[in-house]
Amino acid sequence: MRTPSWVPLVYVGPAAAVMAAACLYPLISGIQLGFFDWSMGTPWADAHWVGLRHFRTAFADPAVWSSLRVTLLFAFVCVTAEMSLGIALALLLEAPARAMAFFRSMFILPMMIAPIAVGLTWRYLFDAQFGFVNAILQHVGMAPHAWLADPSLSFIAIVVSDIWQWTPFVLIMMLAALASVDGSVLEASRIDGATWWQMTWRVKLPMVAHVIAITLLMRVIDAFRVLEVIYILTFGGPGDATEILSLHIYKAAFVSQNLGSAAAISVLLLAVVALLSCVALRFSNPLKQEKM
Amino acid sequence: MQRREFVKLAGLSVFAAGLPISSSHAQDRFAKYKGTSLVLSIPSHPHYEAMIRLLPQFTALTGIKVELDKMQMLRMRDKQLLEMSKPQGDYDLISYIATWKTEYVDKNLLRELAPFFKNPQLSDTGYDMADMVPAYVENIGLVGGEKGYLSGPGARLYGVPYGAETSILAYRRDVFSQYDLKVPQTYDELHKLLYVIKDKARIGALTSRGQAGHQCLQAWLLHLNPLGGKVFDYKSGVFSPVFNDDNGVKALRFLQDVVQTGPVGIPSYGQGEMMTAFLEGQAAMYLDATAIFGPVRDKTRSRISDKVGYVVHPKGSRYSSEAGGLGLAIPRNSKNAEAAFLLLQWLTSKEQDKAVCRAGGSPSRVSTIADPAMTRQFPEFAVLREQIKYIDPDWRPMIPVWDAIVDQALGVGISNALIGASSPAAALNGEIPKVLEIMRSAGYKA
Repeated sequence: MRTPSWVPLVYVGPAAAVMAAACLYPLISGIQLGFFDWSMGTPWADAHWVGLRHFRTAFADPAVWSSLRVTLLFAFVCVTAEMSLGIALALLLEAPARAMAFFRSMFILPMMIAPIAVGLTWRYLFDAQFGFVNAILQHVGMAPHAWLADPSLSFIAIVVSDIWQWTPFVLIMMLAALASVDGSVLEASRIDGATWWQMTWRVKLPMVAHVIAITLLMRVIDAFRVLEVIYILTFGGPGDATEILSLHIYKAAFVSQNLGSAAAISVLLLAVVALLSCVALRFSNPLKQEKM
Repeated sequence: MQRREFVKLAGLSVFAAGLPISSSHAQDRFAKYKGTSLVLSIPSHPHYEAMIRLLPQFTALTGIKVELDKMQMLRMRDKQLLEMSKPQGDYDLISYIATWKTEYVDKNLLRELAPFFKNPQLSDTGYDMADMVPAYVENIGLVGGEKGYLSGPGARLYGVPYGAETSILAYRRDVFSQYDLKVPQTYDELHKLLYVIKDKARIGALTSRGQAGHQCLQAWLLHLNPLGGKVFDYKSGVFSPVFNDDNGVKALRFLQDVVQTGPVGIPSYGQGEMMTAFLEGQAAMYLDATAIFGPVRDKTRSRISDKVGYVVHPKGSRYSSEAGGLGLAIPRNSKNAEAAFLLLQWLTSKEQDKAVCRAGGSPSRVSTIADPAMTRQFPEFAVLREQIKYIDPDWRPMIPVWDAIVDQALGVGISNALIGASSPAAALNGEIPKVLEIMRSAGYKA
């Protein structure tokens, strides 16, 4: 018996309604806010229409471009390091040995910690006077540094904290993907005399390429959304050396009380992330694997 | 009986008859609100940690329960704005930073307090508002006047100081004694000491805030005011930025020297890190808010409890110490405004002002600071008695867009100067256009 075409809609409908309420409505409200001048604590009826003024101002604001540059650099460095480390760790830990199960559990822990706690922990670790990082450096005969007081070093600090927290995400995605690789293909390549490196590079990784693409996409999107850790670690300083776009938006909204401007910059951020996602999907196309 | 004797006897009789009435009036004041629950928004701050210890007494006395919503200080504003803008919010009483008062009143979010104080059913006849440090009341509680945030025509009371602060110089008596150093009375003396302490004592000279934004701005203002500077020059309704004049540059140059000679990492220091550096013995001096009093005495937090002396904030071209800190106010949408007023009045009463000091908080009343028993227990009050003469209520412009100016302009420029990314003059000059843009967008003549 053929299923009527409206049946799938019935099943998908409730979930779609929830998605519309939880995602679409705030998105549309946010975009709408970008066209108004409104301050928190005043009635919405007092908001007044300013058209494209906030968008024009955002395009012309050097602080926005500076934040975007910092964000792009942060995302590039973090995602590259996390993907490389995550894949390497997954290849190392995929063996079914008992000890490996313990190490897998330990490596995943950072991902489970709330970002605020991560920020606080690393703030203390990088403290110039009392921090563990400087204690280690002094122990090995190196000079301590004012990690959070130097523009270059503070950037390194936020990158290190992000890599520490999110490499485990790449790790578990890759472990799951590697576990699903057909063992008979690997056996066949082993019989054919392939080395470990050849098996990894020519067999395993191509077979999990679609998972790598999805993981890469998710990490890129998340890297653009980071806020809590940088808020705690540096608050965008020193100067504006670590002020990424999400923090800039936060400050515009909740410190300067300029919600319309913050909404306009959010829309620009959304456009940048959407563009990068499309580029990533275009080149990797995870669905191509499924169709084949 | 002679007429004089009769009058005296009559007066005594009336007084004696009134005694049970006055104490029962106090109980009558609270009776109506017994069983009420109040929600109070407070920051994570030493003064409010001390207040928490006093609240059970209030509940035992009045039957009014108090729930607390404690947050990081600078985060309170978002939550308070959200709650206070609802038709009926969750907060009955809020603690707020002085600079937020004009924004809150501008948005019609707070209740004026005069009607409460005039209400005989609620007010405590022994409260004595005049006993509050006048500069604290003006800086934290009054909205109106010519500039919109001080006393003057149309000024009204919307808040009462609670956790108010001024600035003071704390120093390590042992370090000064060991190296035979003179405690600085002027900025010239203080400046010379910075390098002397760094070279001789091999610890940081003066600890300071320095993190980008509000923190470094606060640090710069501490020196700007006594050195004769101001952020704006105000004449006939026009605010003209003057922070880039010689005094502004001098203050920023001084702060750069503090960074050079202070504990390592000042450009990343917030208030907590600044205090910790002093309490852990990493710096010989502390020049900032009087909130340091309690933590210095607390042996669980301080390694230097018995080694600290205090003097007034050094003089530049003038004496001018900070006016700031926290106050209490009643939201317009409070569900229990009258009960909230009773709590506000109780917390800021003469008796509780002393009690909160004993618990580790800061005084808001002249009588507390001048009390001999309090001065015996807290010797720093002897210096504070002198310091409160020099508090400048107009220490910073508390206009509604002040936070935007700090966040988007001055807080970035000053931070850049502290890390050597620009010279003091270039850093300040570079922020003039942005400050003017913010002021004009908000409708100010600038």
